[in-house]
Amino acid sequence: MTAIEVRGLTRRYSGGFEAVRGVSFDVERGEMFALLGTNGAGKTSTVEVVEGLSRPAAGTVSVLGHDPFRERSLVRPRVGVMLQEGGFPPDLTVTEATKMWAGTLTSPRPVDEALSLVDLAHRASVRVKQLSGGERRRLDLALALLGRPEVLFLDEPTTGLDPESRRNTWELIRSLLREGVTVLLTTHYLEEAQALADRLAIMHRGRIVAQGTVSEVVDAYPARISFVPPAGIPLPVVVSEDGSGRVTVRTNNLQQTLHELLAWAHVNSVELSGLDARSASLEEAFLAIAEEAA
Amino acid sequence: MKATAVGQAELKLFWRNRTALFNSLLLPLLLVPALMAADADGVPLIVGLTGFVLLMAVYYNLVTTFVARREELVLKRLRVGELTDPEILFGASLPSVVVALGQTALFAVVVGVTTGVALPARPWFLVAGVAGGVIVFALLAAASSAFTRTVEMAQVTSLPMLVACAFGAGLFFPLSVLPDGVASVLRLLPLSPVLDLLRAGWSDGPVLRPLIVLTVWIVLGIYAVRRWFRWDPRR
Repeated sequence: MTAIEVRGLTRRYSGGFEAVRGVSFDVERGEMFALLGTNGAGKTSTVEVVEGLSRPAAGTVSVLGHDPFRERSLVRPRVGVMLQEGGFPPDLTVTEATKMWAGTLTSPRPVDEALSLVDLAHRASVRVKQLSGGERRRLDLALALLGRPEVLFLDEPTTGLDPESRRNTWELIRSLLREGVTVLLTTHYLEEAQALADRLAIMHRGRIVAQGTVSEVVDAYPARISFVPPAGIPLPVVVSEDGSGRVTVRTNNLQQTLHELLAWAHVNSVELSGLDARSASLEEAFLAIAEEAA
Repeated sequence: MKATAVGQAELKLFWRNRTALFNSLLLPLLLVPALMAADADGVPLIVGLTGFVLLMAVYYNLVTTFVARREELVLKRLRVGELTDPEILFGASLPSVVVALGQTALFAVVVGVTTGVALPARPWFLVAGVAGGVIVFALLAAASSAFTRTVEMAQVTSLPMLVACAFGAGLFFPLSVLPDGVASVLRLLPLSPVLDLLRAGWSDGPVLRPLIVLTVWIVLGIYAVRRWFRWDPRR
């Protein structure tokens, strides 16, 4: 069953700038879908429309079978939103801010439970202005989870978190996914998407340029072999140089190309110093896409 | 009602905000001598104090509240929750409105008892004046916040409305002492019909025209808020 359906979504700002240009994707129930992209690619602009914060200039959006903008009152009680930058009054304590939010919800979790989920129970009586950036991020997550959402929107949820908090947040998100919560994630941490997402889309300049499971997206990109070339002898493969003294070979058949290269080095008794061979990772796919499109 | 959760949080913030406390609780009291000097009579004093409460505790206070919550990204956050837009604005206005109503009632009783003011003959005009005044100045505050970048700037952006209403709406002197043409223009200020209705609670003043002017201001206020109110900080 589809939880989120986006078709031909276009978003235009008042100056006429088209931030999102005909984006389409589906998110199935209980799945995590990640939207990746360079800064300014249109991720947040897309998600804001899916959250129902603004109306698309063209295209349609459906969340749990309803239009999130026009049928806001039907959609909102069933979703939780963590904005890229959400705010709380700085002079409220953590508990007061959470209670305020709980008071606006139809069926909230107990406040203590929500704070425990994000490891903030020990900071309950601290004023929001005294929290660290990471703690504020976790408070934002607690509020997003307060209404027991069926669909969760997470916009850069782990920005500013220390590595341990980030792992804990990932564990929390995994447990929510196991409970059947649908998650739409935007992030610029590629390893976050690789670790958590069932499927993902990479956006660039308002368009989706690659979409699928992590391996589907990655398989479309070549593996890389890099080394410092031996002097005075022509190489048997096509390489690109980046000016650092190393050269890079891109190949769709890593095993074959590597074999040829090593055999050539053996026959000619030369050393390939600093040899490094790797399959395409999400990061490489991402960088390749950003380069191609630039 | 869900919006009261926001109101309760706002009330806590109000008690923790010295500037807001001073502006809404103490400032109207400091004006008592000025108003007493202008006219020792009880009814104008009650009317004048109510006008000041509407300007300071409702209008000025709410401009700063809306701007502060917008810049803190609180409004943006509330907007992804279950509350509707009018509920968010209503919730954020609650403490200021409650404080204003409490002050108005307190002033009316204290001044009424000490100066021996008779009970209003037509109390429903008082109710209409206070209720209409609260609504119109809450709406105008929301509209003004759209043109106010920071909380500090609220002192500047709220000034035209505060000065125009304080000196032009008949707080210190009745508009009838002015030339007819000037007076009838000043009667179009948003505070003027409120004060006219309050006075009409005690005396046989005109009520139809003030009611119409007040209604027009409320409609304009709703239009302005829908058109210009900003939920996100300016970038």
